[in-house]
Amino acid sequence: MKAVFRNVFSAVSRSLNPNPHSSIFLPTLRTFSSIILPPSPFPFRNNAFRLLSATSHSSSMAEDGTSSSVEKQFESFRCQLEESGGLRERVRAIAMEIESATRLMHANLLLVHQSRSVPEVLEKASSQIAVLKKLYNQLGVVLQECPGQYYRYHGEWRSETQTAVSLLTFMHWLETGIFLCILKPSRNLAVSLSTMLHFACHHKLSLGMNASDFGLDIEDYLIGVCFMSNELPRYVVNQVTAGDYDCPRKVLKFLTDLHAAFRMLNLRNDFLRKKFDGMKYDLRRVEEVYYDVKIRGLADKAEEVSYDIKIGARMIMGILQEMKEPINNRRVGKW
Amino acid sequence: MAPKPHRFPQVADTVLQSPPKRARTMATESSIKDAFANYTDYLNLLNEKRERVVKASRDITINSKKVIFQVHRISKNNKDEVLDKAVKDLASVTEQHVSRLVKELQGTDFWKLRRAYSPGVQEYVEAATLCNFCKNGTLLILDEINATLLPLSDPSHQPLQINILDYLLGLADLTGELMRLAIGRISDGELEYAEKICGFVRDIYRELTLLAPHMDDNTDMKTKMDTMLQSVMKIENACFSVHVRGSEYVQLPGSSDPSYLLLGMPDHEI
Repeated sequence: MKAVFRNVFSAVSRSLNPNPHSSIFLPTLRTFSSIILPPSPFPFRNNAFRLLSATSHSSSMAEDGTSSSVEKQFESFRCQLEESGGLRERVRAIAMEIESATRLMHANLLLVHQSRSVPEVLEKASSQIAVLKKLYNQLGVVLQECPGQYYRYHGEWRSETQTAVSLLTFMHWLETGIFLCILKPSRNLAVSLSTMLHFACHHKLSLGMNASDFGLDIEDYLIGVCFMSNELPRYVVNQVTAGDYDCPRKVLKFLTDLHAAFRMLNLRNDFLRKKFDGMKYDLRRVEEVYYDVKIRGLADKAEEVSYDIKIGARMIMGILQEMKEPINNRRVGKW
Repeated sequence: MAPKPHRFPQVADTVLQSPPKRARTMATESSIKDAFANYTDYLNLLNEKRERVVKASRDITINSKKVIFQVHRISKNNKDEVLDKAVKDLASVTEQHVSRLVKELQGTDFWKLRRAYSPGVQEYVEAATLCNFCKNGTLLILDEINATLLPLSDPSHQPLQINILDYLLGLADLTGELMRLAIGRISDGELEYAEKICGFVRDIYRELTLLAPHMDDNTDMKTKMDTMLQSVMKIENACFSVHVRGSEYVQLPGSSDPSYLLLGMPDHEI
């Protein structure tokens, strides 16, 4: 047994002795200060194996210094992870509320396919904008508790934000005929979603916090825009069915410009790329509708009108007003 | 079609002071193009950075693996030289490859690009903790690793500090390597070293069972915990086999070399 124990002792002492020349582990010297190497092996004669299994046990006298710092480390990990888990729960709760607000907005916006008037539809949908602003505000406040960790929790609200962007850009385009774009992105997420919401609902409020801490991710924005373009073919088809023959031209121009702008981007093979590829098909669909309308001469009347957008918009409004009239008063001759 | 005269809105970063009527102004094609030119620049920078981070991470992975293989070359006689070389190699990984990450992961990019560098950092943690265990018999704690990374950055940069999640994932991988080491040590006859490893791995497993459910997205960790339990059991079973059969073996008196030869044939009774 003595020979066995000699091995034990030499193995243990070899592994406990820090190499004084190790420059990497400078901080570890402090942890070894409390190690007491037994001057003689005899107290442990019969407990060789038990000593070994106890070397990493916190109650071992020989290694209190190191193992208590290990224990402390894991204890602090537990606290930190519970904290971040709690934060994540709160973020998730807000994200779910954002999702239901966007769902309401979307449901209201869908009325535009049923040829309700644009202002009416927009008014209904806009009621959710204030809700969204409040929720994103809340999100920003929660995230202030963990500065710099925007992207750690970003996955929780990513898809909801993309949906929100798609709805807002669509609404903005419906209302004003122009594309809602954000001009100055920067590495610090300097684009605030509040700017977008602000722009969409004409209010002067800001999020009240440093935009560099919480803002709209550019990729989320671009993906949201792609989702918006997915709505356009359906919109154009339904507008033509309802009698608005100028719509295809406007939508085509808009989508062509948008697609051309997107082509400037160098995309890698990720989700954004897939969505951008989908935009091609949306554009094709809108082109087909425009073509159908044009060759049948349905759009001729509209094309003679001046292209000043104000007049064009007024015309659209007029057509939409007409659609509110009972169906037998419609221009039957167009078919 | 006649080109339409448009004004485009100045969109500020934070507060937008525009009066309500401003929303009626229009964006020219050129302003969309301007905006998208900005987006192009942003995405180009981001993707290039991501590429650099992925490359650095791959280099860290390959070289950390080399360090781990070096440590596995330990045998009864050459422990010190092998470990010295391993420590030196680890230091060069730190200086040459981990340092490349410092500049790239400033600010929010640290969490944004995590998926790009996490495998490399996990492998690095695995190598560093393995070296430390073999040299010192203890667990290298996160603060200690991060202290070694401080000299990599100059005062103008935020220092690269490994986060808890990558550290814990690396620790989980460490148990696999320790299992291999333990089995290797047993074949070499160093039962006591193997039992030391066994206790160490058991402790890590115990601590991690408490932490795994709280990790950010713990699907990775769950599979690693299962593997870890397998590793612990393998070590325990190996120690058990040798322990049970060990009583059959004979100690040559005076030699410090336990002849745990794998013959299974007792020469004579003790």
